[in-house]
Amino acid sequence: MEWTNPALPAARELGFGDLVVPWNGANSPLIASALTQGYRVYLEVPLERASAAAREASRRRLQGVILNIQPSQREELEKALPRLRSANPKLRVLVLDGNGKQPEMRGSLVIKRDTVLEVSSPTAQPWIDTNLALIRIEERLHPAERPLYTFAWTPSESGQQERRATVADYSLAIAEAGAFHADLILKVDEHLQKSLSEHDAEAGKLWGEVLSCAKFYMGKTARPLQAAANVAVVADDLDPGDEVMNLLARHNIPFKVLVPADLKESKLEGIDVVAVFAKPDKDAAERLTTFATGGRTVVVVDAHGSYPWQKSPAVPRNEHTVAYAVGSGTVLELGEPVSDPETFAQDIRRLLGKQNPLLTLWNGLTVIAVPYGEHDGSVKLVEFVNYAGEPVRVQVQVRGSWSTIGYESPEHGCCQTLKREERNGFTEFVIPDLRIAGRVHLETEQPATSKDNRVQPR
Amino acid sequence: MRCAKRVAIAMIPVFFSLWGSGQKSDTPLLVHGKKYVMGTVFEIVAYDKSSEHASMAIEKAFQEIVRVDDLLSNYKAESALSKLNRSAHFHAQEVPPDVYRVIETSVEFSRLSKGKFDVSVAPLVNLWKAALSGEAAPSAAQEEKARGCVGYEKIELTPPDRITFHSDCMQLDLGAIGKGYAVDRAAATLQSCGIHDALINAGGSTMVAMGSPPGQTAWLVHLRDPSGKVDPQVMLKDESVSTSEQTPASLLDDHAGGHIIDPDSGRPLKTQFAVSVIANTGTLSDALSTTLLLLGPEEGKGLLNRIPGVSAIWVSPQAQTETVTRGPRILLGARS
Repeated sequence: MEWTNPALPAARELGFGDLVVPWNGANSPLIASALTQGYRVYLEVPLERASAAAREASRRRLQGVILNIQPSQREELEKALPRLRSANPKLRVLVLDGNGKQPEMRGSLVIKRDTVLEVSSPTAQPWIDTNLALIRIEERLHPAERPLYTFAWTPSESGQQERRATVADYSLAIAEAGAFHADLILKVDEHLQKSLSEHDAEAGKLWGEVLSCAKFYMGKTARPLQAAANVAVVADDLDPGDEVMNLLARHNIPFKVLVPADLKESKLEGIDVVAVFAKPDKDAAERLTTFATGGRTVVVVDAHGSYPWQKSPAVPRNEHTVAYAVGSGTVLELGEPVSDPETFAQDIRRLLGKQNPLLTLWNGLTVIAVPYGEHDGSVKLVEFVNYAGEPVRVQVQVRGSWSTIGYESPEHGCCQTLKREERNGFTEFVIPDLRIAGRVHLETEQPATSKDNRVQPR
Repeated sequence: MRCAKRVAIAMIPVFFSLWGSGQKSDTPLLVHGKKYVMGTVFEIVAYDKSSEHASMAIEKAFQEIVRVDDLLSNYKAESALSKLNRSAHFHAQEVPPDVYRVIETSVEFSRLSKGKFDVSVAPLVNLWKAALSGEAAPSAAQEEKARGCVGYEKIELTPPDRITFHSDCMQLDLGAIGKGYAVDRAAATLQSCGIHDALINAGGSTMVAMGSPPGQTAWLVHLRDPSGKVDPQVMLKDESVSTSEQTPASLLDDHAGGHIIDPDSGRPLKTQFAVSVIANTGTLSDALSTTLLLLGPEEGKGLLNRIPGVSAIWVSPQAQTETVTRGPRILLGARS
């Protein structure tokens, strides 16, 4: 958690051991206080201050330094990071993506400065602000590291009084990071910091609830699992604001992020659909053709040019899309940028067909589910986050066959065995009351080895 | 519904934009709440001198919306509608007053529109819903079978509370009117709690405006504009607006999906228009917006000649507009 108030309760009181202190070079009394109170302290600094912060952290025997990087500093970071780590072997040097957004279920009204902007529309499904795309991008940029991100709380929706983060807000933020297997620097709002340091009973109660959600994700020692995906998004501009990735996340289409140089067979293993948002060079185009030949689908977006798959006859699908049959697969060329990411995400789901979705949810419009598997390719775990923050009864279908479905949640602990049903190569079950966070363990008596059960570890 | 001073112990989780409670002011304070129900986000903004009172009233209004959803949902097996759909075939089934009222209104609209709006279209909707989610388009035989189940004339209403289906496969779907009824009920609840200036928004598709924001004469609502050029707007005071539009076409194939089914053809409606309707209740604007989308501007205008106090606008992606003004005036702004 990130703390700025000079007064600080003890680590054992707050239940979090790692404390992040923004450092501007000054000798902050908060650092001394945090060490006394039993915290492992990290200094958060921009890249320009990295060396100074590392010296200070070493001198004071702090836990580490966190580099808050701007997207334009990626190249500079790649050079600076190894130097910094080798010069300070006892320090943890972590890279922070500070461009996260507050996870939330949003409405359509825009309220600013006491005025309300209303725009009518057809009935919209809930808009979910999620950090899944950012995390997938971080995983690609720093594959050896667990993604680390933070966000600023959304400014007040009402102009008349400051909106402060609630238990539900904090719990959702923690649940999202935990479910997506990423690390979050949780900013504790100043009012709550002050109340907690004054041992205010109401604040203590709120924090207790937040902590119970955090504990759900702490201390898991199970075998490390990899996020499973059977859709790949290839882009040369990795932008977490990209709405296509956000909409794939919201539609529970598990995806991985690649750059054009990644278009090698090994990185596409287990993938059924590739969406390409970059102009493929000759090698990449050949690899995409080979990939499609094996019965899979490639969607190339707004990348006009001459490609090997165009040797096949072009079959117009609609005004903007042309299809090429390649072996037993297909390459689709969309001749313009994606104008409607919502429709595009639904199209990707349709392209997966009935047999290929890794998972499908019903009554889960506010829920994001992320499957995880082992290196052998079988899904072992599905993490769920409900952005509505109130219990929903979610029906789930996971590709594969499982003999036991164990459900755990912060409210009910581990594990309730859910009734399951097998249907056409899928296992179906119902989570009766997903509030904010939940996790399903999938177990099988005999390891699944059929092609349909295999997913690509990321 | 009476407005109790205290909210029931089993509070419905609601996101409020005012943290804490008990703030009072000489000038009205704005309180915003949102809640996921009926598959979308309902939002209420209300002005009151006490934020605690406004929050309590909003909470009560959300409880009322949940109550309506529990009656009208066809996703909940135990809803009154689901029970009716299971048991009213050639049998007079008793239903709660809200359900009777909504179905009665729906049948009226079905008659008015000569079946373009048909409350019994559910079998066709379900057939095409599967196609929309990736299954193959239904066969001609499947379509024919489903069409045989559709027909509002086969619904018999026996006042005060009995309904019979004269078909063995009829299913009702209140998706085109239920949110409108729910916002009307929520408005009545807020009114009974002494809230007079509020806006209730059902996922953007139906909004009911009560009173006006402080210092203003009405609530300004921008209407759906698929062209991005017309910017239609309306000032609402104690009125409702609803918007309907067909699901956008696939980007990657010629998939003929769409959530609004034309009962005449039995297939998803093909139209590029978005239509917005302003009426004095949410129930009316909601039902009319779907009806007018199905009818199109020409026939739709004819229908509106028989319904006083309603305004409507059709807008195409090419900025073609058709307007009827028999109620609040629709202003055409200009995008900057």
